Parts: sequence; C-alpha cells; structure tokens
Amino acid sequence: MDEAIVAVKGVNKVFEGRGGQRTVALQDINLRIAPGEFVSIIGPSGCGKSTLLRVVGDLVEPTEGEVMVAGKSARAARLAQAYGIAFQAPVLYEWRTILKNIQLPMELRGFSKEEKESRAREMLALVELADFGGHYPWQLSGGMQQRAAIARALAMRPSLLLMDEPFGALDEMTRERMNLALQAIWQKTETTVIFITHSIAEAVFLSTRVVVMSARPGQIMEEIGIDLPLPRDERTHQLPRFFELLNEVRSSLRRAEGVHDGA
Amino acid sequence: MGRQTVALVIVLLTLVMVWEGVKWVGGDPWFADSNPWGIEHNPPFRFKFASNLNLPHVWDIAAAFGKASRRNGPPLYEILWYASLFTFREAVTGFVLGGVLGFGLGVVFVHSQLLERSLMPYIVASQTIPILAIAPMVIIWLQAGWVSVAVISAYLTFFPVTINTLRGLRSPDPMALELMRSYAASPWAILWKLRLPAALPQIFTALKISATASVVGAIIGELPSGIRDGLGGAILNFNSYYISGPERLWATILASAGVGIVFYLLVVGVEWWVLRNRAGEVSA
Repeated sequence: MDEAIVAVKGVNKVFEGRGGQRTVALQDINLRIAPGEFVSIIGPSGCGKSTLLRVVGDLVEPTEGEVMVAGKSARAARLAQAYGIAFQAPVLYEWRTILKNIQLPMELRGFSKEEKESRAREMLALVELADFGGHYPWQLSGGMQQRAAIARALAMRPSLLLMDEPFGALDEMTRERMNLALQAIWQKTETTVIFITHSIAEAVFLSTRVVVMSARPGQIMEEIGIDLPLPRDERTHQLPRFFELLNEVRSSLRRAEGVHDGA
Repeated sequence: MGRQTVALVIVLLTLVMVWEGVKWVGGDPWFADSNPWGIEHNPPFRFKFASNLNLPHVWDIAAAFGKASRRNGPPLYEILWYASLFTFREAVTGFVLGGVLGFGLGVVFVHSQLLERSLMPYIVASQTIPILAIAPMVIIWLQAGWVSVAVISAYLTFFPVTINTLRGLRSPDPMALELMRSYAASPWAILWKLRLPAALPQIFTALKISATASVVGAIIGELPSGIRDGLGGAILNFNSYYISGPERLWATILASAGVGIVFYLLVVGVEWWVLRNRAGEVSA
C-alpha cells in the first residue's frame, strides 16, 4: 500500500531557452513524504527547489517522471484543491478585505455564504488575526499579511500545504515569531507541509525532515531527519541537539555547493 | 480639497491677468465705457494678436453669455446650455460605445496573442487616420444624425481604453496567477476575480483620457454632419460671424472646455468611489 501523501518519482525538468539552450532545473528527483510530515527543502539559489514545489503543485509540468499527491496525479490533486499554497509574497488581492481574501478559494468552489464566513473567521483566529478581517491588506504589516496568506492556504482544509519561502521577505524577529506560529498551526491542523527555505535555522526548527538540494542540475543531495522533540518552542533553540542538527545541515549544504564548485 | 480649489482659483486669476496684461501692453486702446472700471488707457504697443478682434477682453467674453446672439433671440448662455447638453449626449454615447469596444478588445487580446498580433497593427493604424477625413464618411454611411457623431466620438475613445485595459489585465503578479491556477480557477473566474479588479486603476486612467477625447470627437463629428444643435454647430456659426462678435466664439470655446471638464470630473468621481478602498490616493 502506498502510504505517502506526496510521491515524486524520477522527475526531470528541463527548461528550453530561446536560443535553444537547455537548463536542467531538476534531475532525477525522488521524494516520498508521509502524511503529517513537515519537510523543508533547502539549497543554494537556482537549485530548483521552487520548481520542485511547483511540480508537486502541478503549476509546472515535469519533463519526465511521475508525481502523485494524495493518491491522485498532481493534476487531479490540483483540480480537487488537495493542497494550499503560500508564496514568497503574501499575494493578497488589494481590493479585497482580509476576510474576503481568505474566502477566495471557497468562493471559487461555490461555498454557501455562511460556510465561507464561518470558516474564514475560524482561519483568521487560527493565525491570530481575528480582529483584522475587515482590514485591507495594505493596512497590515508584512508579517500579518503573510499570516493572512497562510490562513487562505488553509481555508480549504488541504491535506498538503506548499510553502515557497513564505517568510523570506520578513525581518529576523518577525520571522521567528512566524516560525512559532506556523509550528503551532501545523500541530493543530495535522497538515503535511513542504517548506522551501534559505534559512538553515528555520528548516531545522520547523521540520521533521530536511531535504538538501544542490544546484545545476537540481538534485537531492541528502535527507536529514530532524529528531527534535515536538512541540517545538522558544526552548528548542537552546537544545544542544538543535545546534548539532544545524551543523549537520550546514555541512551538507556546503557539500552540495562543493559538488557544483568542483565540477 | 480646499487647497486644490485655492490653487485652481489662483491659476485662473493668473491666466486672466496674463491675458489682460498682454492687452494692456499691446492691445487696442481701453475706453472708459468699454470696461467695468472706467479705465482709460492707451497701450504703448499694438500687437496684432492682442487686438480686441483677436483677443477680446475677458469681461466682454463674460458679458457675451448674457447677450442675445441674434436679434430677439434667447441669450447666448441658453443657446450654449442646450448645445452643450446635445454635444454631451453624443460624447457620453460615444464614450460608452468606445469604452465597451476598447474594453472588449483588451479582454480578447489578453486571451489570444494571435488575435492581438494580427489585429493590433490595424488598430494602431486606425488611430493615425485623421478623424476629419473619416467623419464625413461615417455620417454618409450611417445616416443616423447624432448617433453617427457618437460613433465618430467612439472612434477617438476606444484606443486608449484598449491599450490600458490590456496592460491592466496583464498587470497581476505571476504569483497571483499561480494562486488562481492552484485553485483550478476557470479563465472566466481569473478574469473577473483577478485580472479585471487589478486592471481597474489603469482602465480609469484611460477613461479619463477618453472622457475629454469623446467631447472633442463629438464636436469634430458635428462639423461635417450638418448637425447644428451642438457645440460644433455653434462653433461653425460663431466662427462665420467672428468679425461682428469674436466674444461669442470665445464663449463657445469656454463652454466646450466646460463640457470636457465636467465629463472628466464625473469619471474622476466614479474612479474615486470604485477605488476608494485601495492603497494610495486616486489622482485627478
């Protein structure tokens, strides 16, 4: 029986440039993610980690290989709105209030007014923005906007949450608070998360597994299980094991970059 | 708003002072009975363009509004009021026709590169043809009186709407489109829930241009059409009697400008209302 919620098998992605030059963004990617996991994908810029996320979300079609999400093809999963997604930027529609932004995916599915309203309120409470439903995005700080974007991603109660460097644009302090919040949301909703990041500390703090990728071509170098106790909070940062894992991921990343440098 | 009004008044006063200043320096002699203050003055120079025929006194233009333009006729302001309404109706109709056409083309083009590439050159070319050359033909083809004039006005209106609608519909961030794709949204939903709202600021920019252009189009359209009820007709009429009363043509020009400005402000008002919740102020 296939227990994985995400199964990526032998995926290659080649982008054809204008002059006929080919860029291999992903090469022979194999990745299985079990339900409830929090998997971070980390790697140097241009390693194809965002492309991999988009392949899972059926936003980019792989050149070769097979992607299964929640027991369906990636396409069927997208059509069934099996996943929610959050990007680097909040991508809130500026002409909608926060509440209306969160209702957008439900609106497209023809939910009843009451259902939209109650579920959007519930999501707002989950990301601790209960009092801000009537605000417009530009009236909120960057961190609050990103929390609203997460609420929107969770609105359809997806079994999978795809996050593409969602906190990359935030300052360090906000980022740490967002990490704590995301950690709590993940625990509460029991959603599976694929999380793209540049930050080693963020990856280690949040994840149950860190996938390290190398660039050109984008390949999976190593997978590191994160055995820090759950739930994680401010104290997690002080655990000796946290530092060990930090170093482990760091040296793995170095090896990932070294492959490229030596080639 | 208060400061804007003050600025507007200052600009208007400055214009009047420059106008009369030129006439003070190089116009015809000022006689006591020809101005409200009884000033007698002999300007040191005689500029041809500043004569009373070429550049009537501001108060003479103002007074012309109250005088009958022909013997026993109604006062000029009444004639101009009805002419303005007539032309405004043509302009609004043309504006709506042109706006709908321009918007429709923008929507079609954003969905079909093929159509955009094949049709856009002709649309651009259409705008290089002088409206004065087309107007008589449209009048003859359509045989529809003021509606023909509205069509001519639409011709001058649709182009900025097409260009700006297209740009606006293409303005959403790639991630905003990916978000819609992740929701498996239909092209229709993407258009109505993302592209169109995102395009509104740019569409309104075009509509502001088009509002004034539609008035110009309507006036020009009236000229070869034989329609005498609008501002175009009034301009032709007072132009041919210029020698005996230049103020009347100037008054008509002011009325024409007034119609354009009112239309423009109407669009600004709608824009303000529609975009009132967006970040950044609406600029007039």
